[in-house]
Amino acid sequence: MIFEFLSAGLDVLLSPLALGLTFIGIVVGLIVGAMPGLGPLMGIILLLPVAIGLPPVAAMGFLIGIFVGGSCGGAVSAILLRIPGTPLAAATLFDGYPMAQKGRASDAIGIAITSSAIGGLIGGVVLVFCAPLLARFASNFAPPEYAMLAIMGLFAIVVISGGSVVKGLLAGSFGLLIATVGTDSFSTGLRFTFGSNNLLNGFHIVAVVVGLFAISEMAAQMLGRDLLKTPNVKVARPGLRTVAMTLKHSVNLLRSSAIGTFFGAIPGAGGVISSFTSYAVAKAAAKPDEKYGEGAEGGVVATEAANNATVGGTLVPTLSLGIPGDASSAMLLGALLILGFIPGPAMFENNPDVVGGIFMVYLVSNVFLLIAGILATPLFVYVLRVPKVYLIPSILLLCSIGTFALQSSVFDLQIMLTFGFIGILFRAADYPLAPVVIGMILGPILEANLRRALLISRDGYWIFVDRPVSATLVVINALLLVAMVYLTFKRLSGLKQGELQKAMSVEE
Amino acid sequence: MKLTKTLKGGLVTGTLMAATATAALAEFPERNIEIIHPWGPGNAMAMSQVVAKAMGEELGTDMPVISLPGAAGTKGQTTAMGKPADGYTIFDGYVAPLVLQPILGNADWNFADFKPLSAAVANALAIAGQVDEERWSSFEEMMAYCQENRGDLRYSSGSRNNLPHMVIAKVLQSYDCVAQNVPYTQDGNVFKDLGSQVLDFAFINVGNYRSNPDRVNILLVLSELESSKKAYDGAPTIGELGVDLGLSNLGPMGWTWWIVHPDTPDDVTDTLRGAMERAMARPEVIKAIEAIGFVPLDWDHTQYEEIVGSVDAQLSSMGNALAWEEEELRKLD
Repeated sequence: MIFEFLSAGLDVLLSPLALGLTFIGIVVGLIVGAMPGLGPLMGIILLLPVAIGLPPVAAMGFLIGIFVGGSCGGAVSAILLRIPGTPLAAATLFDGYPMAQKGRASDAIGIAITSSAIGGLIGGVVLVFCAPLLARFASNFAPPEYAMLAIMGLFAIVVISGGSVVKGLLAGSFGLLIATVGTDSFSTGLRFTFGSNNLLNGFHIVAVVVGLFAISEMAAQMLGRDLLKTPNVKVARPGLRTVAMTLKHSVNLLRSSAIGTFFGAIPGAGGVISSFTSYAVAKAAAKPDEKYGEGAEGGVVATEAANNATVGGTLVPTLSLGIPGDASSAMLLGALLILGFIPGPAMFENNPDVVGGIFMVYLVSNVFLLIAGILATPLFVYVLRVPKVYLIPSILLLCSIGTFALQSSVFDLQIMLTFGFIGILFRAADYPLAPVVIGMILGPILEANLRRALLISRDGYWIFVDRPVSATLVVINALLLVAMVYLTFKRLSGLKQGELQKAMSVEE
Repeated sequence: MKLTKTLKGGLVTGTLMAATATAALAEFPERNIEIIHPWGPGNAMAMSQVVAKAMGEELGTDMPVISLPGAAGTKGQTTAMGKPADGYTIFDGYVAPLVLQPILGNADWNFADFKPLSAAVANALAIAGQVDEERWSSFEEMMAYCQENRGDLRYSSGSRNNLPHMVIAKVLQSYDCVAQNVPYTQDGNVFKDLGSQVLDFAFINVGNYRSNPDRVNILLVLSELESSKKAYDGAPTIGELGVDLGLSNLGPMGWTWWIVHPDTPDDVTDTLRGAMERAMARPEVIKAIEAIGFVPLDWDHTQYEEIVGSVDAQLSSMGNALAWEEEELRKLD
């Protein structure tokens, strides 16, 4: 059956138009992903009117190419500039940027692209072989399970906080707090909107991320004394050696891709959670000498494999059940409907060539991503050779254009600048920024699903242990909590002992 | 010196005259026209993009659709109202922000405060149940179960206080059935949780139904129109069950009219109306709209007052259903 789909799809795919548009989609995706503010969703929205005039598989190849390329493109600016092009790449800068600082920018981008392509292919294999099965499994995830998954995701804050767990938790709480701004969907009451129409739907996550990371980073760069200097950066073409470097992390690659596919298959979870979770898992499983957070290749592999595998996972419920996994796949679903195909089980029976064609364009787009990404890396890295006096205003302009384009809103620009200032304060006080993003994304998921679960329940909180999957997640969360409290206290006592010994040695 | 001054004066006057003449000669539209869409990305936005693309081709300009969700659509509507009345901003006027929210006291405008371009689309709604349900086999049996087990059933209308919520609450009130509404922000998740038996029944639209017709059981189509019955493969309608909701035509359905600011110049409004009517008459646009599960509407601006006015009157008269549901649930706590 699967091979019939693929064979039918291959016939449709092997046309210059379908292949060419898939490749163009990848290039467009890489560009919109790398530009701070824009991302795969904006790319798909902008180009959907073009796509719906094309033959179905060519149109889907074009849009899926943007989705795949855009999910990877954010890594480029994260690695080179410490600015995640999209929230998806917020976890990539932990190790990607330190790698670039050590003169390994080409390697970092090559690893990011290779991991994205391989992660995407693994997600694609799952999509092809397990779509209906995985969709059935994922459809059993209801509000209690989502609430427990969101709590699990919040534990990632402790792992990625690095220096100070307390500062990480405070930053995460700040993220949770700002996520409460807007209209409460349960009571329709307004929260912290202060009479402003612009705040009725809360803060736009992209405006917050661009402000926190990009504006504060540019402010920090401006304080340097090398604004006019032309940096002497060696630009190397990554080539196949970065593929070899990536494959050295095969366990991490497989694990992160599995995490990404899993989160993708659950509607509403998304690539940001999957990339942070897989980074946290990779860091927890790593040996101390791998030095996560200081330029570990494994860190880039984990985040990029996960967020691109999420794309494949997201297509599972979209194609199998007609339930979009996230906003980007909702637009793909809309495009399919306009093209005359109704996603769901019936499409697998009635239009095997289109289903097979979509499978094939997804797989091929990941191969194209590898080719286009590796070829374009020297162009990307060339950015590092531009003197800061030109680079900083250009980046700020791109950030402003990208943020304004979200909703044609000047208010979003004001939010970007406000969070830029907050980001500067966070950096000055040595507070991590990533937990703010995690809190802001997971906050609404946790709150809505906790309240929804309690409304559905006829026995109050027992709903969380009555359902087998939810009960399993409750146990896992409890164990994680105990382990984290224990490890944190152990680390703190180790630090205190170290300080004591240091003080004693000074006295001696 | 004097000559230079005269030349400068002439230059300024000439430039001003040229600019004025250019402005007078310039034809609308000179730049992109924005469509403010009050919901997040999804089928409805894709449908608006189809209409916008065709209309943009008629006008010779691009018409980007901008998603501005929030507060049951009122955020987008308020934003659109705040833009200059020059015809470069069109609002995708769905029933929720245009009619329902003002009735519920959440907005200070009225449908008559806008200039209509043309009707766009409608979307028939239905109540769906689980496919392997053993407690009942029809809508009326479900209502009987609900009367005996007050507050036991769980259902979703998607967002809270939206049109499906009001219509379903009215139906439940007419049967004296008290059930707990569970708000969801994504329609797809409602459908998923209905399929996995977390919810007992839920509102569904044609698009979701067509994706998985075998995974749900359509209990009641919330419309009296024959086209709606056909879209749900002949399921019973409110008219057939004898449920008198006081709703007819577009009353119980989701729909959108494209509207502009009331101060938009008449010539600009006429240009937009003509372009939209031509776009909506195109066969490929009708085909694409129907493919998404929406019904294209062919009412022009002269029928706006009559049609939307009647929906406004009907919904106003049934506004107490939501308050009734809340009160009955409070009594059960």
